[in-house]
Amino acid sequence: MPVDYTQVADADFRYLFAAVVFFTGIVFGYLVGRVNERLLRAMDVDDAVEGTTIDQMARDVGSSTVSLVARLTSWIIYAFSALVALEVAQLTVQDAVWYPIVGFFPSLVVAVVVLFAGVLLGDKAELLVGERLRSVKVPELTLIPLVVKYSVLYVAVLIALSQVGVAVDALLILLLAYVAALILFTAVGTRHLLTSAAAGVYLLLRQPYGIGDRVAIGDHEGIVQEVDVFVTHVEENGREYVVPNHLVFRRGVVVVRE
Amino acid sequence: MVRPPELLEDVLDGIDALLVFSPSGAYYDRAKDVEGADVVVVAPENAVGADEFVELPLAFDDVKERIRFGIEGALTEGVVDDGDELGCAAPLFGDDIDMVARTKVDESRHSGIYDLFANSRAEPGVIRDVFEVAIELGKKGQKGEPIGALFVVGDAGKVMNKSRPLSYNPFEKSHVHVGDPIVNVMLKEFSRLDGAFVISDSGKIVSAYRYLEPGAEGTDIPKGLGARHMAAGAITRDTSAVGIALSESDGLVRAFKNGELVLELDPEEY
Repeated sequence: MPVDYTQVADADFRYLFAAVVFFTGIVFGYLVGRVNERLLRAMDVDDAVEGTTIDQMARDVGSSTVSLVARLTSWIIYAFSALVALEVAQLTVQDAVWYPIVGFFPSLVVAVVVLFAGVLLGDKAELLVGERLRSVKVPELTLIPLVVKYSVLYVAVLIALSQVGVAVDALLILLLAYVAALILFTAVGTRHLLTSAAAGVYLLLRQPYGIGDRVAIGDHEGIVQEVDVFVTHVEENGREYVVPNHLVFRRGVVVVRE
Repeated sequence: MVRPPELLEDVLDGIDALLVFSPSGAYYDRAKDVEGADVVVVAPENAVGADEFVELPLAFDDVKERIRFGIEGALTEGVVDDGDELGCAAPLFGDDIDMVARTKVDESRHSGIYDLFANSRAEPGVIRDVFEVAIELGKKGQKGEPIGALFVVGDAGKVMNKSRPLSYNPFEKSHVHVGDPIVNVMLKEFSRLDGAFVISDSGKIVSAYRYLEPGAEGTDIPKGLGARHMAAGAITRDTSAVGIALSESDGLVRAFKNGELVLELDPEEY
């Protein structure tokens, strides 16, 4: 809503006041930028984002992610103070034009920040997952880091779009379907692993049989060589059976004592 | 007038393969396209992504030992053949490569150290951890006194069936693995006890205080070694385990496989 400054002072004073507001804004923005940069460096953000594509892009133009973010906060404050100064000086021709834009400004900033954080987070997740999978030399697995990255990006874009007021219902439904499918497939795919792990925890805690015991699990009889969370290794005559632990529970186990 | 590098030319002249020990990424990038010789990287881990790689499970301080291990590894992996001329570039004084040597692959000097790590039932990392524990024990002893110890690694089920407990098992129902930080202290305390430690393929300490009862016939170990080493040799003949013994009298760490002495290490050199 427009404020009537005419009661406050005459035109000359308004210009002076506007100039003061503008320059205070410049100084304030610069300081906030510097403090922001210090803070980000103190939180080791520069190490955390190292190697992501944004950071590489920033380095290509001779900067770094941290100083770019700090610069951005400075520029947001500069722009804002310029707008306020214009308003104070009453130089705006149609003040009605400014207000929706200024009102829209915060959510735009939030959207940009979310997008930025999303891209960083996605890159970081891609790097982490990629490093984890590096020792596993299956070329097809390089797809997984990409899927993780774009999933994070998708969520970030979704949040950013909803910030600026775009209708995202369809995208949200897509996301829900994706997450539901992921949960469903994981549950179905790792059902045996999960039940085995649950049984394995019991076996490790209670140790009904240990390494060196002769046991029969289902059709396999032999000497226990190893018990871990998922499987039990049973060896007989040079054959080592790797028995999933859920079988120990389903079929029962016979401990053979001579 | 010759420049110093030219004096060394004949060291690397006409070699079939170049073993590069623990190279940095930049060094490997320069070395990998060398003409006329295969480049084999020998390092604790393949950090440079080399095609031909031999894992170095122990940090051999003695360069001669390290090179011998590298050659055996390369031979076992089939990267080099008997009679090949080899160049070796390795770090000696610093962390960067600062020496070159030339040697010939001689299959008759094959001692089986590489085989001990790479082709045993237990995981190489577990054998390495047990070696480290034994070396540590050998260095420090128990309260300054030298101590002896025997570790039987791998094939634990069979080893347990060929041995009997001397007393209660302090590792009953525990889930301690060699390589856990607490293990060095624990093993040091328990090595006061008589008998052997039994360690599974994945490194779980199954039992201490075990009296090994293998059939000792046909076990051929050097004369002068005591009952502990005889037991270690015999149990590895009967099972597919690896025996690692720390001698109380001479302080050496010895490894046995298939009933034979494979490796002898002086803890003081590590």
